[in-house]
Amino acid sequence: MTSLTEARPVRKILIVGGGTAGWITAGVLAARYPRRGDDGISVTLIESRQQPPIGVGEGTWPTLRATLKQIGVTETDFLRACDASFKQGSQFVKWADGGESDAYYHPFTLPVGYEERNLAAYWLENQRDQSFADSMCFQTAVCRQGLAPKQITTPEFTGLANYAYHLDAGKFGPFLRDHCIEKLGVAHVYDEIVRVESTETGDISHVVTKSGETLAADLCIDCSGFSSLLIGKHFGVPFLSKKDVLFIDKAWAVQIPYSTDEAAIKSVTVATAQSSGWVWDIGLTSRRGVGYVFSSGYVSDDGALEELKNYLSTRGDPLRDLSFRKIDINSGYRQEFWTRNCVAVGLSAGFIEPLEASAIVMIELSAKSIANLLPSCRGGMPQAARIFNDTFRYRWERIVDFLKLHYVLSRRNDSRFWIENRARESIPDSLRDCLEYWRDHCPWHEDFAHREEVFSAASYQYILYGMGFKTYPAPWLLNDRDRILAREKMNEAGQYTKALAASLPGNRDLLSKVRRYGLQKI
Amino acid sequence: MVNRVVLNNQIHRDVRIAAIRPTRENAEVNTVSVIPREFPRLLPHYPIFYTKNTETGRFEPSVLLGFQPQENLFFVDGRWDAAYVPLQIQRQPFSLVTRRAEDSEGKPPTLDVALDLSQTVQSQEGQRLFLEDGQPTKFLQGITSMLSALVAGAKETYAFTGRLAELGLIEPVQIDIEFVNGSETKLQGLYWIAAAALKTLPATQLAELRDREFLEWMYFQMASISQVSELVARKNRLLSGETATRP
Repeated sequence: MTSLTEARPVRKILIVGGGTAGWITAGVLAARYPRRGDDGISVTLIESRQQPPIGVGEGTWPTLRATLKQIGVTETDFLRACDASFKQGSQFVKWADGGESDAYYHPFTLPVGYEERNLAAYWLENQRDQSFADSMCFQTAVCRQGLAPKQITTPEFTGLANYAYHLDAGKFGPFLRDHCIEKLGVAHVYDEIVRVESTETGDISHVVTKSGETLAADLCIDCSGFSSLLIGKHFGVPFLSKKDVLFIDKAWAVQIPYSTDEAAIKSVTVATAQSSGWVWDIGLTSRRGVGYVFSSGYVSDDGALEELKNYLSTRGDPLRDLSFRKIDINSGYRQEFWTRNCVAVGLSAGFIEPLEASAIVMIELSAKSIANLLPSCRGGMPQAARIFNDTFRYRWERIVDFLKLHYVLSRRNDSRFWIENRARESIPDSLRDCLEYWRDHCPWHEDFAHREEVFSAASYQYILYGMGFKTYPAPWLLNDRDRILAREKMNEAGQYTKALAASLPGNRDLLSKVRRYGLQKI
Repeated sequence: MVNRVVLNNQIHRDVRIAAIRPTRENAEVNTVSVIPREFPRLLPHYPIFYTKNTETGRFEPSVLLGFQPQENLFFVDGRWDAAYVPLQIQRQPFSLVTRRAEDSEGKPPTLDVALDLSQTVQSQEGQRLFLEDGQPTKFLQGITSMLSALVAGAKETYAFTGRLAELGLIEPVQIDIEFVNGSETKLQGLYWIAAAALKTLPATQLAELRDREFLEWMYFQMASISQVSELVARKNRLLSGETATRP
């Protein structure tokens, strides 16, 4: 590479693809670097009109609140435009043993005392009759009662309980698009890419569109979805399948209308285990999104559809006039995400079943990392790429581990799917080592390598103890001071639960009020 | 228990209402919402803040009456101890109820005057609501115009505070007070004009506030800050009085 190339400033950013990934990335970059024109950077997004939105991934993480705030939209506009609702965590039904009362929560609010100490051991020591999440977190009661995480007087993007959103992905992209174009100076092109041109060093120099336009780029961001136009088709970066660990490879999805305008909206994603996978159930303000992600190795498409219909009828949902859509899922991710002057974000980088709503949070993390790492000159790009690739390979690996954890801990024996999910050879070494370690240590920060983990030790605690995993810490590692602290904190959580139950509105009530009056900024 | 009935010139023809005084139930509050047109008359007596309506989250001006949730330092021995009583209190036990909601074409709702019987003292010496021929009395006409002023005022209020919030001109304030007996209190949930933001407001927006009368209202409201110390003094007098009478 000549030094002339290395000194070339990185100022033209071209984003390929206009789904959730494309517009979040455009929004994050354009908001972070607001200077345009001759002494700034340009952000251009090209999308073809033909790409139908995938329409899964309607659950998010609380990180989205900060991301939306950074991009500069109001929470009121977002909630209204995307039919969004408040999500306070997930509920896993029939995952542990499949029995009638088998259900537990993974709430977004951290366990009590988590900011200072690891108190999980003291719950284990004295389990009483309450589950881990119910003892250690006030939020499960809020979820169970169908309450919102905040009041109408609570300022936007803040909550009395930690929360994220359920959103209509088909409306989220267009909502961000309008903001990016009108407020952030993102250039937008509706066109199709017909040719990708390279420099002599192998970088992408520009793309040529169907209408004959040439779009030059110093950095390309591939948000083209499963078609992976740049990272896959152009650069040929191999895809690492994780099908041997996570068996899910297909889904049936359906939209369910509410019976009335006042029907309750659950404030959690409900994931109900089936014979060969699980059903997601997500309540928006406009409708519910329901789907069965399953493994074709264990059930036929027809058999899966029957199970999904059965799930719906058990809940009392009429089956008439529903249209079921089939989706293929290819679990895995790219061997690298940033190659030369191209970085992949979203489905082009990888996809894993939506069990813990990791898709959108990975887009946010990617966009943030690109913004932080963005080199001023081409010469800085190899190092940026190395850091990005190391970080995101690690993140994908942890997501795979964390999702696998849900299956490994199951005691279900009613189908081959559940039994074979516990087969030793299907469990990554990293997860096996952790599980071994957690036999006498409750998960804590040091167990994970990075400052910013996708899933913190708190999430591991909720899943492990929600699923009935037992940790037996050595008695000499426990002490009375923390034991007393734990008891106090659990009592406080109980009292806070009562106070909140009296003052929080129902999830639907608050969403209707937001629609009518909006939320204040302060 | 509220027992609200819509006034009817047949049913309520002979009703006579004793001189209206705020009942304990209505008066034991530490804030009461007010409308901008009251500001000039409120200014000599009360500190005016903004609070959030608990039902809608929207900002509305309200006067501070006390430092504890149900403390009203202006309500002394069953009487209102100030020359001007906020309309929201004056109108009790009357209110407006909606007969027909606002329709989709924006036609205004139909409103009826209602009376809360649970808070009404009837007496032979009291005020009549209707004349023999069924026409409303001067007294009832006065009530009706007060209620109409409140309805119109609410519309103005939300146009006013909505615009201020949009322009970032409202900010939360926390007021820490130490009383004469050494007790302390922190007032929360109160909002105030963001003076710094007002100073740097672009001229066009400033002109807009002026033209819409908003600027005038803001000045009244800001000037009322001096009433906070008057309110503290009121409380202090009460506290020292209490201490003095103790053996």
